[in-house]
Amino acid sequence: MTWPRLLRAELRKLTTTKMPWAFLTVLVAIAAINASAVIWGTDFDGSKGFISTAADQRSLIAFAANAVMGAGLFGAIAVAREYGHGTVIPTFLSAPRRHHAVLAQLTAVAIGGAVLALVGAALTAAAVAAALPTTEFGFMVSAGGVARVLAASAFAGAAGAVLGAGIGAVVRNTGGAVTGVVLVLIITPPLIVQLISDASTWVPSPLATALSGVSPQAAGVEDQVSAPAAILGLAVWALIPAAIGLLSVQRRDVV
Amino acid sequence: MTAITTETRASTRRADTSVRRSLPIEVEHLTKRYGKRTVVSDLSFVARPGRVTGFLGPNGSGKSTTMKVMLDLAAADAGRVTIGGRRYRDLPDPSATVGALLESNAFHPGRSGRNHLRILADADGITLDRVEEVLELVGLGDAAARRVGAYSLGMRQRLGFAGTLLGDPPVLILDEPANPKGIHQMRDLLRARAANGDTILVSSHLLSEVELLANDVVVLNRGHLVTSGALGELQEAATLVRTSATERLGQVLQAAGAVIEALGDALVVRGMAMNDIGQRAFDAGIAIHELSSHTGSLEDRFLRWTSDQQTDGEQSP
Repeated sequence: MTWPRLLRAELRKLTTTKMPWAFLTVLVAIAAINASAVIWGTDFDGSKGFISTAADQRSLIAFAANAVMGAGLFGAIAVAREYGHGTVIPTFLSAPRRHHAVLAQLTAVAIGGAVLALVGAALTAAAVAAALPTTEFGFMVSAGGVARVLAASAFAGAAGAVLGAGIGAVVRNTGGAVTGVVLVLIITPPLIVQLISDASTWVPSPLATALSGVSPQAAGVEDQVSAPAAILGLAVWALIPAAIGLLSVQRRDVV
Repeated sequence: MTAITTETRASTRRADTSVRRSLPIEVEHLTKRYGKRTVVSDLSFVARPGRVTGFLGPNGSGKSTTMKVMLDLAAADAGRVTIGGRRYRDLPDPSATVGALLESNAFHPGRSGRNHLRILADADGITLDRVEEVLELVGLGDAAARRVGAYSLGMRQRLGFAGTLLGDPPVLILDEPANPKGIHQMRDLLRARAANGDTILVSSHLLSEVELLANDVVVLNRGHLVTSGALGELQEAATLVRTSATERLGQVLQAAGAVIEALGDALVVRGMAMNDIGQRAFDAGIAIHELSSHTGSLEDRFLRWTSDQQTDGEQSP
């Protein structure tokens, strides 16, 4: 009975501050930027080639890579601020066997990250679809394609949030956790690819793009992993920091 | 500031009082180190059911660390702490058994007081009706929808206290829960709960705060137990003895079980009747120049106990 209670509490934590609204504002801004790009943006040759095919349009609305990053920040802030404000103490008093509390926290941020990513993807797709009539092209992405983009975004958002939450649990400081997410998702992947060139398809952004069903040509890459492999890859990126966070929370004194 | 009203049976979820368990907090030879620094050293005491126990000591004396070990928020290096014979983590329903307030400012400033308590209630499986009850109990009913960031210090302290009462637990552990005014407001409620058999441990770095409500006190300094016992006994007058053989008389009386404290060129003797002191001095061939009752205030003694910053690792009497 403890775990459902803790999950309910963690979900209430996420929905009773202004943080989700701040992220929603950013999502609206991203959607507006995409719509602006459709209306006023051109390729180097002055054409609208970047929205001329279904694959191009799918690449434009594919939100999963953004979702990993955005939800990563969301998860990191959501968990690290618990330590900053001391609100983690009553949580651990309710669940002195702390893995229950941490699993509830990870589940809650995964749900929050998935919802935010889904909303972000839906807003972006809607904004692009609304902007396309100002051009000579219609909306060409199939319903199935849109559904895959949405599903990929939701999964990527959940994975990103869990990754961020793991980093937040380890670092326990909001600024440090945000820096950690940037390091893991932006700084580290190119370094890994430099060291191991075969790893280029296994870093978060290409994995998210592959999961969205964006073709290698539209994504501007030579190779891509399959969707199941992308799911597995993103899950590993998320679960490693989460596992480290879980272990560190269990071993550490709350001071 | 709104007074904290005494909780009535009707306003609580409390089960039949006759089956409410009596749960002592037992600290046994507790030692806690952070790195090479020993924060709590071989500490033992019992906070008994039906009593309000004041846990006293200056800032940094190890009170908060001891409470964190009690609540399994920190691991002991040696010894153990049990509540009703079990470690906190082994209690069947820990948050319904123990209400704890460790940091009086542990809130998200952007969250309302009501939502703060609802989160605690969710985690502990408590109905949301109870949230409204405790908000009224601590006088925050009208401010419940406001952001905690807009609360005054006193309101935050009362919100923290409300959180400890949510599950109507038989044990309360409160770490510096309020300023003196707040303590005064909590007094009736805490005493009423103690009278009902609850175990209440309240830490403070100021004796004057806890003196208002405690039945027993435990005094800590630099991680060591200085003294513990019933407040009334500690407040009892001691005996002042003047003699030219201060050191020898001190040894004689200590050997007989008295507690000796030097006061200038005299001795303050506790735990031994005045005529017994005189007889033992006579038996030892020590001339007494003065034998009188000593009524130094408890505050004076507390300050002496806890201002002994030079004798690291040594206990005051």
